[in-house]
Amino acid sequence: MLTTEKLTKSFKTRNAVSDVSLSIPQGQMVGVIGRSGAGKSTLLRMVNRLAEPTDGSITFEGKDVTALRGSALLEWRATCAMVFQQFNLVGRLDVVTNVLTGRLYHHGFVASMLQLFTASERAFAIRALDRLGMAHTALQQADTLSGGQMQRVAIARALVQEPRILLADEPIASLDPLNAKVVMDALRTINREDGITVVCNLHTLDTARSYCDRIIGLKDGVLVFDGTPEKLTQDMAREIYGAEADDAFAEGLTSTSLGGEPAKQRLTERDLAKNAQLGLAAS
Amino acid sequence: MTAATLAGIGPDEIASVRRMHPEAFGTLRGKLVQWAVWVGVIAYVIGSLWYFDVWKFAYASDRVWRLIAAMFTWKDMETWRYADIYTGIAQTLAMAFLGTMLASLAALFIGFFAARNTMPFGPLRHLVRRMLDVLRGVDQLIWGLVFVRAVGLGPLAGVLAIFVSDTGTLSKLYSEAIENIDRKQVEGVRATGAGPIKVVRYGYLPQVLPVFISQSLYFFESSTRSATILGLVGAGGIGMIIIERFRANLFDQVAFVVLNVLVCIFVIDWLSRKVRERFIGETAH
Amino acid sequence: MAAMTYSGDDTVAEFERHRAELLRSKRAMTALFVLLFLAALAASIYVSRFYPDRLASGLPRIFEYFGTIMPNLELDKLLLSRGDDGRAIPGSIAYWYSDFWTYIQLIVETIFMALTATIIGAAGAFLLCFPAARNLAPNSVVFLLSRRFMEICRGVPEILYALVLVFAIGIGPLAGVVAIAIHTAGALGKLFAEVNENASLRPVEGIRGVGGNWFEEMRYGVVPQVMPNFISYTLLRFEINVRASSIVGFVGAGGIGTELNRVISLYSDDRVVAVLLLIVLTVTLIDLLSERLRTHFIGKEHFA
Repeated sequence: MLTTEKLTKSFKTRNAVSDVSLSIPQGQMVGVIGRSGAGKSTLLRMVNRLAEPTDGSITFEGKDVTALRGSALLEWRATCAMVFQQFNLVGRLDVVTNVLTGRLYHHGFVASMLQLFTASERAFAIRALDRLGMAHTALQQADTLSGGQMQRVAIARALVQEPRILLADEPIASLDPLNAKVVMDALRTINREDGITVVCNLHTLDTARSYCDRIIGLKDGVLVFDGTPEKLTQDMAREIYGAEADDAFAEGLTSTSLGGEPAKQRLTERDLAKNAQLGLAAS
Repeated sequence: MTAATLAGIGPDEIASVRRMHPEAFGTLRGKLVQWAVWVGVIAYVIGSLWYFDVWKFAYASDRVWRLIAAMFTWKDMETWRYADIYTGIAQTLAMAFLGTMLASLAALFIGFFAARNTMPFGPLRHLVRRMLDVLRGVDQLIWGLVFVRAVGLGPLAGVLAIFVSDTGTLSKLYSEAIENIDRKQVEGVRATGAGPIKVVRYGYLPQVLPVFISQSLYFFESSTRSATILGLVGAGGIGMIIIERFRANLFDQVAFVVLNVLVCIFVIDWLSRKVRERFIGETAH
Repeated sequence: MAAMTYSGDDTVAEFERHRAELLRSKRAMTALFVLLFLAALAASIYVSRFYPDRLASGLPRIFEYFGTIMPNLELDKLLLSRGDDGRAIPGSIAYWYSDFWTYIQLIVETIFMALTATIIGAAGAFLLCFPAARNLAPNSVVFLLSRRFMEICRGVPEILYALVLVFAIGIGPLAGVVAIAIHTAGALGKLFAEVNENASLRPVEGIRGVGGNWFEEMRYGVVPQVMPNFISYTLLRFEINVRASSIVGFVGAGGIGTELNRVISLYSDDRVVAVLLLIVLTVTLIDLLSERLRTHFIGKEHFA
């Protein structure tokens, strides 16, 4: 169980995130939606403690995450993996070493400086790459890969961390629809098979509807919606996205034609909603 | 796709992955090469230090501490002959200024002889370039030593040393600037029926002068640095005062002088940067 | 129509006035600069006693001296080997270069000095450059400390360090090596830090995200990006250090400079050019070699 209590991040003049209280049970797949600058990234980065909260607290299984310092903080980051919009791989290292960096927290100083990884770690890294269909690129330099491949390597890196939570900050915003689907499918599979909580920032509404168990809507840093995809009405979506609504729905259209497959069990019900939404977006 | 944990990876699993992706575990040859490089470098450093009698440090520690202590306890500051110190610094600046200026003037002519587009006669161009190579190949301090032997102790030797070594480098840079100019402008001037001298004056100079000035300023800056040490071989400037007081074991004064020089160089750097930003930036556009 | 012509006239007049103003201020600036320049020139000539009469008396002596340091080789004896008594015959190359093997030994020592100093200095620069990069420094105290330390290292010329070290640890190449290494650490450290400041921070954030500490962020996030540049700069520095190690001998810190200082000061005039030639040759050779290596490294990196 991951909970945030009145989590706030303020910059000089405004609040990027204000008073967000949430509680996410283990194993849930959560989509965070909102227009650009709504505070989605800041929220995720605070959970991973890449950004410091100004106020409020984060707890995970009774442990106060906001109070962690030093080694305990690093341990938390290792437990709480992060996938970035721009992949944040080390371009000049080969793919398997990039994946192995996911084990760094568990290494001593000398071993990590000398790039000494054990055989079982290497096997584990290859297995993780294999799950994402990337094992054949293991020895390539990471910056020779395409965006979609890089993101899959980044997910493999997150997997070898053996995390409890996986945070994905706009994982498909820099990808074409086909790769976006591959990456979202992978996140969904990891969530289902490994029981890892996935919290995913998504710009497009429809991807969130297709893949997530629960949707959280942020507007100007304030939590305005929290519930299942079915409960997210068109009016609510319009309110969340504001002026960007047409944009967000239209982008949804392109990835819908490819996405949605993994959540087949709810497809019929949601197809209706989708059609209604398309009509709405077109008018 | 099956869920896996690191703990669940047994020897069988490792073996099967290794069979499919042997290179991912690192090849023996790769590892050997990597280690050999490291071992070689470290062995070289240790070996060469040993050859250079690194044990001397063990016997030196006492002297080092005394030296450092002497440098930081300033005594009898009223007897330090400050006039000499500041005259020395002024002399260093003057040497750098004169040397760079004369070198710039010389390079203004030599540069055109060393550039491909203004000196079409190959053999002469190559001769000039090789001579410039020799001027640059010999360190400024060596020129200083040579000129001290030729014209005696004092700033004249220093000015000549700076002049000679800066001429070598500036001429090369100038000739490169000349080779990089826009040919259309030169043709424009030539089309008016101007003679070769006038072509250089109106076709080349306006284009290259900003670059020349900026490079000369930069060299003035670097010459002030090098001029401070020319005195160590007797070629005038503050270096002479440093070595004279060092030989007299007046380490506190040496530290003071060096501090002054550092501040002075810092100010020159800053000034030169400002001037280049303000004026050359404008002229070049 | 009439109104427009009128306003047009006005614009032209204003333009002319503005132009005249600009021209005047530009002329004033030029005059000011010429004046400043002349003042600086006069002051420089006065301070360094660079008077025409001194120059006139000095110049002939320069040519005279360059005459004396030229070897007196005689064409007919040029290639003669040593005589039966083991003495070289004056006028032959063997006589001119009778200390050839001593020079070679010193040249090799000079190159080794430069190499050792470059390796040690580059190692120091490598350790310093991460805290000294504005974007990577863990905190401002470490940043300022490492910056200032590097400034001290590179602010003082290596030959001054050599002078002090010769006093502290005695005459010999060790003082030269340490002096050049200190200066190299400062100079390379600054260049390395600048490379670091241009590195992408995305990989660094990626490593931070997996729970890596600061050292791991540097090792995995930054080092792979900057290494080719570091190697290239280090090779360049090696070229500079070969020059430096050939002159630190002037203050007794080892290498060929010791011999050059000796032959110049002891009036063994004909040997001066012999030693100088070897130095220029060595420096040129090292430059060529290092350039090859540099293009090899950078070329390979571009290829991959």
